[in-house]
Amino acid sequence: MTHEPSNRREENALWSIFGYLVSGLLFWGGIGWAADHFFGTTYLVLIGLLVGMGGALYLVWLRFGRE
Amino acid sequence: MTGTLNLVGFGLSAIGPAIATGMIFAAYINGVARQPEARSVLQPIAFLGFALAEALALFGLVLAFVL
Amino acid sequence: MRAFVKLHAEGDGFVPPSTNDFNLPPITESIAWLTKPVLLVFLSVILVSVFFILSSRKAAVVPSKLQFAGESIYGFVRNDLARDVIGHEFMRFVPYLFTLFTFVLTNNIFGIVPFLQFPAMSHVAFPYVLAIFSFGVFHYVGIQKHGIIKYLKEIAFMPGVPKPVYILLTPIEIATFFLVRPLTLSLRLFANMFAGHLLLLVFIMGGDYMMHDSHLIMKLFSPFSFAFGIALTFFEFMVQCLQAYIFTLLTALYIAGALADEH
Repeated sequence: MTHEPSNRREENALWSIFGYLVSGLLFWGGIGWAADHFFGTTYLVLIGLLVGMGGALYLVWLRFGRE
Repeated sequence: MTGTLNLVGFGLSAIGPAIATGMIFAAYINGVARQPEARSVLQPIAFLGFALAEALALFGLVLAFVL
Repeated sequence: MRAFVKLHAEGDGFVPPSTNDFNLPPITESIAWLTKPVLLVFLSVILVSVFFILSSRKAAVVPSKLQFAGESIYGFVRNDLARDVIGHEFMRFVPYLFTLFTFVLTNNIFGIVPFLQFPAMSHVAFPYVLAIFSFGVFHYVGIQKHGIIKYLKEIAFMPGVPKPVYILLTPIEIATFFLVRPLTLSLRLFANMFAGHLLLLVFIMGGDYMMHDSHLIMKLFSPFSFAFGIALTFFEFMVQCLQAYIFTLLTALYIAGALADEH
C-alpha cells in the first residue's frame, strides 16, 4: 500500500462490517432454522441468530475495533 | 392488496437503527472536524457503534421473515 | 404467526405497476430471447465502443471536445478509482474497472433516456453476471499473489483468537467472502435500478390515470403527479451514476483487499 487515503479505508470498513453481520446472521441462523425443521422445535432458530450476531460482532471487533 | 404485517413492523423498527447510525456518524464527523488527529482514536469506536446499530436493524429484518 | 392484511383500493380502475411491467415480450415472435433489455445491452456495448474509439482515434496534445470528454472519464476511473484504492499495482486493473464503469453507467442511464427508458440492470441476471466476473477477478488476483493455501488461510483464520472460537468465526468469514460479497454487490445494483424504475412508473402512470378520470379534482391534481415524476427523474439520474460508481469502487476495494499483505 503506497498511498491509501483513509476515507477509502472507512468506506471499505463499512461495507465489510455490513457483510460480516449479514453472513453471520444468515449462516448460524440458517443452521438454527435447519435444526428446527429436523428436531421439530421452534426456539433453535433464535439461538442460531443470536450466536451468529455475537460471532459477527466479535469478528468486527477483532478486525476494526482493537488498536 | 395483500401482504404481511411483519414487514410493517420491520419498517417501524428500522427507524431506531437509522437514527442511531445517523447520530453516530454525525458525532464522528464532528469530532474529526474539530480535532483531525483524534481520527485514529474515534474510528474504531464509530465502527463498533455502527456495527451494533446495524446488527439490530438486520436482526429485525431476519425476524420479520422468520416469525 | 403470520398476519395478512387485505386492502382494497377505492374504485376498480387503477392498476398499480408491478413486477409484471418488467417482463417485456420478445420483439419478434420467432426469437424468444431477443427482448428489450437484451437489445439495450447490445446497444450500450456499441455506443460505448464507438464513443471511445472516436474520442481516442485522433489524439492530440490540445484535445478536441470529444477527446476531452473521453479522457476525463478515463482519468476519473484511473485516478480516483483505481490508483487511489488499489495502490502501486493499479495499471493491471484499469481496463477491467473502466469497462465495468462505462458499461454499468450506460445501461443505468438508459433508464431515463426518452424512448429507451428501461434500465437493463433491473433484470437481476445482468448484475449477477457482472458480480461473478468481479468475484472471479478478485479471488484470482489474491490466489495469484499469495498462493491458494496462504490466501484461503488468510481469509478463514483470523489471527489472535483462541482455537475453539474458530468453529464460530471461520464459517462467517468464508460466507462473507464467497457468498455475501458477490451477492450484495449484485443485489445493491439490481434493487436500486428496480425500485427507481418502479417509482417512475408509479408517478407517470398515476398522473396519466388521474388525467383521464372523470372527477375534476383528479384532473386538477394530475399535473402534480407528472411534475413529481419529472423531479424524480433527475433524482434517478443521480442514483444511476452513484450506483455505477459504487459498483466499480467496491470491485476495486475487493481487489485491493485481496492484494493486501495482511489484514
